[in-house]
Amino acid sequence: MKAAIFDGIVLGLQYGLLGVGLTLVFGLAGVLNLAHGQLAVLAAIIAALTIDAGSSAGVAALVGILCAAVIGLLLDRTLMQPVYRLRGESRVLLGLLLMLGVAFVIDGFLEWRYPIEALSLRIGGDPVPILGVNMRVGSLWASGIALAAGAALLFFFRGTTTGRAVRSVIQNEEGAQLCGINPAFVRGLIFALSGALAGLVAITRSMTSPVTVTEGITLTTLALIVAVVGGLGSVSGAFLAGILLGIVDRVSSFYIGTYITTIFLLAAAAITIVVRPAGLLAPRR
Amino acid sequence: MARSSVSPSRTWPTDGWTVADEILALDGICAGYLGEDVVHDVSVTIAEGEAVAVIGSNGAGKTSLFRAVCGLLATSSGRVRFGGADITGSKVHRIARAGLAYVPAERQLFPEMSVRDNLFLGSYPQRPDPERLELVFGLFPRLAERKRQHAGTMSGGEQQMLAVGRSLMTNPRLLMLDEPTTGLAPKLAAEAYAALAELRSHGLTVLVAEQNVPLALGLAERGYVLENGRIQLAGTSAELVGNPDVRRAYLGVS
Repeated sequence: MKAAIFDGIVLGLQYGLLGVGLTLVFGLAGVLNLAHGQLAVLAAIIAALTIDAGSSAGVAALVGILCAAVIGLLLDRTLMQPVYRLRGESRVLLGLLLMLGVAFVIDGFLEWRYPIEALSLRIGGDPVPILGVNMRVGSLWASGIALAAGAALLFFFRGTTTGRAVRSVIQNEEGAQLCGINPAFVRGLIFALSGALAGLVAITRSMTSPVTVTEGITLTTLALIVAVVGGLGSVSGAFLAGILLGIVDRVSSFYIGTYITTIFLLAAAAITIVVRPAGLLAPRR
Repeated sequence: MARSSVSPSRTWPTDGWTVADEILALDGICAGYLGEDVVHDVSVTIAEGEAVAVIGSNGAGKTSLFRAVCGLLATSSGRVRFGGADITGSKVHRIARAGLAYVPAERQLFPEMSVRDNLFLGSYPQRPDPERLELVFGLFPRLAERKRQHAGTMSGGEQQMLAVGRSLMTNPRLLMLDEPTTGLAPKLAAEAYAALAELRSHGLTVLVAEQNVPLALGLAERGYVLENGRIQLAGTSAELVGNPDVRRAYLGVS
């Protein structure tokens, strides 16, 4: 049981990192990025190809993350422009459909050109005992990176002028404009950041299990569940939801079986929507 | 957009008002929604250091006019000049950074952020100037007491103070307020205008849209009466107060 919970926390930190990129873009731009998981896989494959070309793992990881950030920015500057001209429901719908298209394109391209490519960044070393549970080195690295990323995000949003400007646009776009803040700049920044986070989660995930070209849809679904449970737009909510769902995932597969975990995760999301429609830590409005 | 301190020479006739030191000039502004104008051919000139009121009833087009000036509503014709530069069609954030501060009636605060963070965002992208912050806290001691409170949990009067405070942090050359007394009890409304009068004494140029005509004309030197999106009357505050139509329509005197 203790091992299952520890595994759940390790997994949950990855879930949090996955969900936070999706939740930020939704909170800011009203776009549900259904290509978030595919963007992560794309970063993983770019990193794998960079390694194949003779690069070190560290450089390859940076290349993958950077490419995902650039693709995020490009999506904002091109495909998302007609979305921003709409308001309310039609905005959410168009953004969702366009991003679904992007997901299909990335999936199709990767399965066509690189069907057997995968990223696996094994980190060697003996398991490290923590409170009596043997933890793999790769898991510890992945968790450490996710925690550091979460802390960096919280510092960015609470403690920096630019981070405050991002939150101000999320809370009241017109008010932000009247303070001299350019919402278009903030959107580009957050799309790039979200892309980089997708790339980062692909890298940390590959430290515990290979990231293959078909994994995009799984990652997108998980990101959606985490974002819904955590409250769309909430950074700390995404990490809290990620950890809770990670524990649900591991404990249910430990006691019942892996086949049931997705159903449990979806049930957790459904219960959250019923009990707390705005998510665990959703901003009160 | 350069902040020019040199007053430009006038290049078009405005409303016949002689203005030496023009800061804002509207020339034949038309604006509206979905192709339907609600503001028709409005021309207004304001000089540096003046206080001017735009009075009119609900739905007269005051808010639409103000939104058109600060870039939130597209103009269908006419020009807006601010500080000598043509700002017609400029982006809202650029106009704000040029020194035109707009306080909407809805206040548009950041409800999940503290009073302090709301004020800090006013000085974006610069670091907040401690002297300005002192000025705001001096004007509204309530805000100093509640630095850490979330804006969304404050009372209407406090939110109005915060909205004005935040706009002052942008270091404005012109402060435009839309119905600053909306939802305020008479005592609080009078206090809000007392604060505006103090800002006037610091030399700030103020343009206020108001239904509460006695308060507005008490602050302003002159005013415009807006009806159905058109300027019906312009004059000094004394002239307007003495005008029988204004008295009947806005002052409840027959």
